[in-house]
Amino acid sequence: MIDWLSALFSLLIFPGFAFLFLCALTFQWIDRLVVARLQGRVGPPWYQPLADFIKLLAKEDVLPIGAHELACAALPMVSLAAVLTAALYIPVGTHSAPSFEGDLIVVLFLLSIPSLAYFLAGWLSGSVFSVIGGNRSLLQYFSYEVPFLMALSGPAILSGSWSIAQITAQQSHAPWIALVQPLGFFLALTGLIGKLKRSPFDIPKAKSEIGAGPLTEFSGRKLALWQLSLHIKTAVGIFLLVNVFLGGASIGLPAPAVLVFGIKALLVLLVLSLVDVLYARLRIDQLVNLGWRVLAPLALVQVLVVILIGVG
Amino acid sequence: MPLLRSLAHLLTELRRTLLAERVTVQFPFAPAELPAEFRGRVILTDEALCKGCGLCVRDCPALALELERQDREHFRLIHYRDRCAYCGQCADSCPSHAIVLSNELVSPSQERDTLTQVLVEHAPDSTG
Amino acid sequence: MSRITIPIGPQHPALKEPLSLKLVAEGERIVESALRIGYAHRGLERIFQNRNYVQNVHVVERVCGICSHVHTTAYCQGVEALLGLEVPPRALYLRTLLCELERIHSHLLWLGVLAEHIGFTTIFMYAWRDREIVLDIMEELSGGRVAHAVNVIGGVRIDIDPEYAHSILARFDDLERQIEVFLGVILHERTFQVRTHGIGRLTAEQVRRYCVVGPVARASGIDVDMRRDAPYAAYDQLDFRVIVAHEGDVWARTMVRTMESVESLQMCRQLLHAMPEGPLAVRAPRRVPPGEVVSRCEAPRGELVYYIRSDGSDRPARVKVRTPTLPALAALSEQLQDINIADVPTVLAGVDLCIACADR
Repeated sequence: MIDWLSALFSLLIFPGFAFLFLCALTFQWIDRLVVARLQGRVGPPWYQPLADFIKLLAKEDVLPIGAHELACAALPMVSLAAVLTAALYIPVGTHSAPSFEGDLIVVLFLLSIPSLAYFLAGWLSGSVFSVIGGNRSLLQYFSYEVPFLMALSGPAILSGSWSIAQITAQQSHAPWIALVQPLGFFLALTGLIGKLKRSPFDIPKAKSEIGAGPLTEFSGRKLALWQLSLHIKTAVGIFLLVNVFLGGASIGLPAPAVLVFGIKALLVLLVLSLVDVLYARLRIDQLVNLGWRVLAPLALVQVLVVILIGVG
Repeated sequence: MPLLRSLAHLLTELRRTLLAERVTVQFPFAPAELPAEFRGRVILTDEALCKGCGLCVRDCPALALELERQDREHFRLIHYRDRCAYCGQCADSCPSHAIVLSNELVSPSQERDTLTQVLVEHAPDSTG
Repeated sequence: MSRITIPIGPQHPALKEPLSLKLVAEGERIVESALRIGYAHRGLERIFQNRNYVQNVHVVERVCGICSHVHTTAYCQGVEALLGLEVPPRALYLRTLLCELERIHSHLLWLGVLAEHIGFTTIFMYAWRDREIVLDIMEELSGGRVAHAVNVIGGVRIDIDPEYAHSILARFDDLERQIEVFLGVILHERTFQVRTHGIGRLTAEQVRRYCVVGPVARASGIDVDMRRDAPYAAYDQLDFRVIVAHEGDVWARTMVRTMESVESLQMCRQLLHAMPEGPLAVRAPRRVPPGEVVSRCEAPRGELVYYIRSDGSDRPARVKVRTPTLPALAALSEQLQDINIADVPTVLAGVDLCIACADR
């Protein structure tokens, strides 16, 4: 009975849906506020992301003629479900997730499903801009995913385990992997920026070129679910990086685990916001170039270094 | 390295912006600070100065002024605020400096009639 | 590879003003383009014929919002030539001051728009923030941020006292420091350069063939500037450089416009220091004797031509306006050949189109 209740609590409240929903809104607000302040603007009030979500739920939900109605209704839900499932295996603060050997691979796979859904949404929603955006998002996926996966396999090889909880636990009595493999950390951050389609890699939804890219024709509830899934992906991606590279909730000193975890997550978010502000958007061919000529070889170098020097 | 130089430029400017005041003027939640020369509401400085010569009407590019004359002393000058371009030509053309532009903002309205104002009224019965 | 037709406009995030550009793309490469304009046509040249010369000063100002002052300058110069008026030197200096301030604000606006189109929102925010310095000066001088209403036929209707001139000069120092930051970004920032180098290249021969004018021509090596070649207002008293680049791409145009802003600041300083005393305007008769005149000015986008024909009444018989954006639109198809879709907004921004000017 208690098991049932605690499982339900984990799924729906902490660190389940309610917690992730709150994290998505908070991270979005902090990101927008930091970017605004760096640009000299005021930034939104704290309730803005919540207000945007509620507003979208209340809006009319139309699709153009030629859009695949069933797919367009299902895809945002698929994306949201994949992201929420991925969050189950990532420890947050003190909470220990149900872990097993290999859950890192499962999480990475689950986090790729929203990218695929995004691309399909572009193809199936019946607009020129969304088709172009969908093509670009797939090209982008192949450019950042390989370095991202290789960068995340470095800590796994170093820790001798493919379980996120184990990798995190190892760092409580060893230096953080970000310090030991700085190149890997840099590549993981770059890959995360590509995954979250933030500037300078916001190519599929380049506002001035193709409207909103794959999501151009979505509105109302569908768009609300899409945005929610993308923002929860931000939170989940940051939590993943904090666990794998920054040691989760450990800091070497006795301190409240949730606070430590929260501060580390905020620091990663601040880095992402800073990168957003600093650069112009790349073109898709420039990103493909960058991904395959620079990032992938660097990731290979990092993995080789770990294999030859790190372990044993 | 050019990458580091470019980062140095922008990071300095980012730091300066973060420490400086927000640029946004939060009107209408904060007052709008308008300079004295701002061309706002069209008003009459003194109704007695207006002789009803009609030069302002003739020179208004937006045709926002109208003069209704009954006879030599009795006339009415009407200003259509929704047509007005706030250019100030009426103030420049007026030989007696009766009509001027103050620096008040003109608020929009959903009632067309509130945007029409009678600037000068010298009606037959008022002069006896 | 299959071809898709991409409609850019009449409403599109890449466009400030409506125009219709239909692009045919194969993958990410543009193979054909078809342009239609006229969405912002207001029939202004016909309206000019229905208003008297005094009213027309204000109607001319509203041809364009960004280059409003130079339109009134060209118009007033033309009418003053028809009337044979000698405009007092102080008025000429004040006119030139507003012209140069307008050039700075137009170039900063353009820099922000270009940055926004390549995804560099930070530079967009910074450029428009620093543009406020110029707009505040213009508002304090003339009473309007966009429509200045400074020119009258025969002179100007504003004045500057020495104390106010000091405050303007102090703000110019701030502005110059900020423009240096932008120059640093253009010269050194890698992502800006990779997005603008080599994009939208026009050779000098193409520029001549399409009669393109302004910073676009100067960025392709054509050394032409009305302020030096056919001086008007107080430009013959000023000492300034005409900025010319040779690469002919969007990056060169950015360099030309930003360096021109720095030059304009220098010219404003010279004007304020050397401002002669005297009246602000001469009295202008209302009826213009019959004649015709061509008045040319250097707008921020290039050479602006006004042809005015008078028939002895108090209304012009014909006012013909040739704005600098028109030849730039003609040369657009050359720049759109074989580029990526992602570069289309960059090209459109690099040319600095002012459709309100082009459509009238």
